[in-house]
Amino acid sequence: MNGALLWILAAIGLTVVVVRRRSVAVGLVTAQALILAGFALHDAGSVGDVVAAGALAVRAFALAALFLLLVSRTREQRPVHARVPPLVRAGGAVAFALALTWLVPVLGLDSRDSERAVLALVAFGIVTAATRRATLFHVLGIVLVENGLALAALGLPGGASLTIELGVALDLMLIALVAGVFHERIFAEFGAGDSTALRTLRD
Amino acid sequence: MTNREQLAWAVVAAPAVIAVLVLVVPRRVATAFALVGAFVTAGLALALSVLAFRSLSDPVVGKWIVVDAAGGLLVAVVAIVGLATVLVSPAYLAGVDSSLGSAARRTHSYFSVLYAFWAVLFAVTLVGNLGGAWLLIEATTAVSALLVGFSGKARALEAGWKYLILTSLGLGVALLGIVVLAAGIPGGGIGALSWHALPTYSAGSQSALVAYVLLLAGLAAKIGWAPVHNWLPDAHSEAPPPVSALLSAALLPVVLLIAWRSEHALAPVIGARAGQNVLIFFGLVSLAVAIPFLWRSLPWKRLLAYSSLEHMGVIALGIGFGTPLALAGVAVHIAAHAVAKALGFYAATPLLEHAPRATERAVTGIARTYPALGGVMGLSLGALAGLPPSPLFLSEVLIVAGGFEAGRSWAAVAAALLLALGFLGLAHALLETTVGKARRRDPSSRRGRRTLVLLGGASLALLLGLSAAALWLPGSAFVDALLQGIS
Repeated sequence: MNGALLWILAAIGLTVVVVRRRSVAVGLVTAQALILAGFALHDAGSVGDVVAAGALAVRAFALAALFLLLVSRTREQRPVHARVPPLVRAGGAVAFALALTWLVPVLGLDSRDSERAVLALVAFGIVTAATRRATLFHVLGIVLVENGLALAALGLPGGASLTIELGVALDLMLIALVAGVFHERIFAEFGAGDSTALRTLRD
Repeated sequence: MTNREQLAWAVVAAPAVIAVLVLVVPRRVATAFALVGAFVTAGLALALSVLAFRSLSDPVVGKWIVVDAAGGLLVAVVAIVGLATVLVSPAYLAGVDSSLGSAARRTHSYFSVLYAFWAVLFAVTLVGNLGGAWLLIEATTAVSALLVGFSGKARALEAGWKYLILTSLGLGVALLGIVVLAAGIPGGGIGALSWHALPTYSAGSQSALVAYVLLLAGLAAKIGWAPVHNWLPDAHSEAPPPVSALLSAALLPVVLLIAWRSEHALAPVIGARAGQNVLIFFGLVSLAVAIPFLWRSLPWKRLLAYSSLEHMGVIALGIGFGTPLALAGVAVHIAAHAVAKALGFYAATPLLEHAPRATERAVTGIARTYPALGGVMGLSLGALAGLPPSPLFLSEVLIVAGGFEAGRSWAAVAAALLLALGFLGLAHALLETTVGKARRRDPSSRRGRRTLVLLGGASLALLLGLSAAALWLPGSAFVDALLQGIS
């Protein structure tokens, strides 16, 4: 994968960390997954690769539909602000990504740039889940991490396993579906999809 | 396909089919259908375990299925805990007044998701491939999160949400480790991640170690090892009591089995010592983090949850020591922890009826107001504390002795000290819970007493049997098979 595309993927990931609106973040992770699917299709050398690219695209559209449905069904009365300001989040995410790149030596992917982009997306996903209060952003953080792992699978020297690609796509959709059920119930119970309400269980 | 492979597929298929069928049977027979299905499923699984134990020197190691000594043990554990969980579920459902789904379909949806969870637990135990194991573990998260939040109450939603998000993120990290492994194994495809192929990793021991650490760090979030255990006390305390039993007694050791197999398969690449060091680290940290909570006055289910953290740490230590004595201890510990912990969680259903505030604070003097319940809780906590002749006492002795046998004296001494502290904490809780000062309680709430007494009796027999097994196991062919693994 060329360097410019990797930068675009990482930049989209960083934008998810700072963006305020849930629908915009959904659009960004979907665009990211579709770029990955397009690249997978471009590089496909067998029927299995084409099917894997198709699964990635189907997963992107299915998740986008689910998340946008959730956004429309759980309109917030007032914005759910993140615990940490956007610039601090971005700074933290970049610092975490750099630390991961420094700590994790060679992953064995086709280029070091791909490896850095993978680690950056994993870091951005974790930071998104850790610093946002809106529950939907927690799930989007997981999707960011999975997009990073899809990029890693594309960078495998021998190509990724179709079985694993399909399984991961299916699992992610299952997790998102269950998260959707919880998100709606949390919204109904607390009047907002705000994770600050989910801090009563402590010792 | 051998008999064992056919049976292994049947063991996974039976609960999966029941999970679908229970959705369509009429409401009046749904519970009876689930109960009958539990005996069929457990029967198949126990038959597979017996076959696995009778063929210790000839394990089935295929691309998709593994039936070995460790797998046989875990299949038996999952079967027994699953059966008991289904048996006690009607008593739990009788007292439920809210749920995630519709009230009219509550019993159907509960048993359907429970059976799906049971099927995936068997599948994780028997899968012959690290990639497949990851997919199945991720699937356990989705189905079990629905069970954790089953009541739909605020606390259950909080616990289920934390569980879903934290373990999914952790498993993302584990998948990164698997991708790194896949990059270094010749051939590619799903076959490159079979347990047999992992030792052929050829991209260098440094990157293999990185992959292994990422994999274990990710799995740790699911096993509940400290310091990534934050979801565990919440999920185990807020889930329906029968589900808590399945989570603690079956899910945690089943995922731990995958960590164990990974350590064994990658030992030729990263070095046995390096792989074991990571497990010992997680083991000691989990013990150290759990102990202060075992000393605190906690609600019953949260106390049991922190005890799970301690016991998963002990098992990690045993696998990390990796000697015959330690592995004998690990086998006994997995089985005895499952029996004692499941019994403790099953006791929570009548406990919450007898003392409704037990969800919020520690209960005391239960044996004074409800002797049968107090006896069962005492049996569970006494066994978990490692009070002799509990098999968990013997297994802990074996594991610590295994640490000295492995030449890891400092870790064995640290483990012994931490275990002694944990024992003191739980022994205090045992006395307070059973014969401490009793509060005024409703003497009429005795529903499910007979089931409770039967389960207590069966658990006592199993625990005594495991104590005897702990004396016989060291030096047996079973331990030799555990040492050999699936290589």
